[in-house]
Amino acid sequence: MVKKDIYILGIESSCDETAAAVVKNGREVLSNIISSQVPIHRKFGGVVPEIASRKHIENVLPVIDEALKQANVGINDIDGIAVTYGPGLVGALLVGLSAGKALAFALDKPLLGVNHLEGHVFANFLVDGELEPPFMALVVSGGHTALMKVKDYNNFELLGQTRDDAAGEAFDKIARVMGLQYPGGPEIELLAKDGNPMAIDFPRALLDQSYDFSFSGLKSAVINYLHTEKQAGREINRADVAASFQAAIVDVLVKKSVHALKASGLKKIVLAGGVSANKTLQAELAAAVEAIGVTLVHPKPVLCTDNAVMIACRGYYKFLNNEFSGMDLNADPALKLG
Amino acid sequence: MLILGIDTATKVCTVSLLRDNEPVAEYEINAGMTHSEGLLPQIGQIFERTKIAKKDIDLIAISIGPGSFTGLRIGLATSEAMAYSWQIPVCGVDTMKAMAYNLPVDDIILAPVLDAQKGNYYLALYEWQNGELTEHQKVTVVSREELLTRLSEFAKPVMLLGECAKLAQESLPPLVKLAPWQVRMPKASSVALLGLEEYNNGQRKDIFELNLHYIRRSEAEELWEKRQKKV
Ligand SMILES: [Zn+2]
Repeated sequence: MVKKDIYILGIESSCDETAAAVVKNGREVLSNIISSQVPIHRKFGGVVPEIASRKHIENVLPVIDEALKQANVGINDIDGIAVTYGPGLVGALLVGLSAGKALAFALDKPLLGVNHLEGHVFANFLVDGELEPPFMALVVSGGHTALMKVKDYNNFELLGQTRDDAAGEAFDKIARVMGLQYPGGPEIELLAKDGNPMAIDFPRALLDQSYDFSFSGLKSAVINYLHTEKQAGREINRADVAASFQAAIVDVLVKKSVHALKASGLKKIVLAGGVSANKTLQAELAAAVEAIGVTLVHPKPVLCTDNAVMIACRGYYKFLNNEFSGMDLNADPALKLG
Repeated sequence: MLILGIDTATKVCTVSLLRDNEPVAEYEINAGMTHSEGLLPQIGQIFERTKIAKKDIDLIAISIGPGSFTGLRIGLATSEAMAYSWQIPVCGVDTMKAMAYNLPVDDIILAPVLDAQKGNYYLALYEWQNGELTEHQKVTVVSREELLTRLSEFAKPVMLLGECAKLAQESLPPLVKLAPWQVRMPKASSVALLGLEEYNNGQRKDIFELNLHYIRRSEAEELWEKRQKKV
């Protein structure tokens, strides 16, 4: 008997991108539609939840329709509906979740509720066809910073996470203080290119042997530095500030990852989340883990930011494991990893 | 013709199934449960109990506001996705007008109100005459004082519908009364009836063009515009 192909429709609306995608057998991307709201939120300096929700409800069905059309798959040929139910903005999550649940209900197909952060980790399966658990995952995004062991496709162990600000949040805040555009991560990275990462010695909170992270001290130090220099009437080298700030974050992320890899003996680490698009982080992490015989996998830029391919991929492994969600599935804005 | 009606504009989650103008089922929950958890199980139970197959539904009628922004979006996303799956039309009806269908009685001014936050109300005014509904006032946002002044202008009985219980905590103008609780809040059967009527009158929109009647913009936009004007 020929094994039947499995088609999963993924839906994502946790923040400011409305996305849908069709993925075949968990690894083959048939379509990847993303309707980004970044330009809409820019004038407010960040994502406005109510505006995001209004855009999601306008876009959700057109995006789903487009994903099916581009994949050339009929809605009835879909085997399961994977949808993000947290973490994220509750009003935003509810739009995609309601649509996903209603499709599953109307078509009598399994519903696969997906943790957005697990989705980011699974984006790596679409880069490296050979990638298989177990491996280490470093999740770095606007809302999260975490180290997690991926034991198998449905079994994770959280080793540590941020105690205060997420790495991406620190990027956004410093960018705002420096008068850069939202979203701040790519802006800081661009500015840092021309700066000296060793110009200013910003603090690195290593918190001893713990795998937890803390970036609020670093954030305050950068703000204090900018303030003090301004008070003293000294000219600020913005590129140096950006480069030194970025170096401090990357340094902590790399050291913790190496520490966790050594302790676990795992031979692969994947990067996940919006900040994984940062080239300095990719390069420094790759060099550091290579030195201890570990390979780094990171998603292509288009799969670093929020998308529905990663949600469909995560959903596929839930599908194989018969982990179906009920029609009473609610959004969980504070859904945890692991 | 089988019509599925849905209203999630307030804390009442209500679903109804009509065969033409005849009710087959109505299932209403007002228990503080979130619509996200309750709506689809509620719809599922209606199909189970009536033994009607989902795919036999011909039209979905959904209440599209004003009301709770999040509630409205849950209802609309659910309705659109079901209609898309079954390849049937979906009709978006005004929440206020649908409430006027709860009480089709001549010579009474019907005043559906909904909470518009910060002490404000959404208000619309309707009146039935020989089976025809006249709109005396399009939905608007008013303060409590403006609302009571407006209602005391009529020389005939006025009935408040919707989220009006708080208004009655202080004395109301002489001719103004709260509608009996059985017909006060949104009813999915009214939504379905109005939806069927509008659909038959040719008020048909593509699923992708349906949008909500928010009436009010988001707070962030209002603040931003205020700031722009100052500069
Ligand atoms: Zn994300």
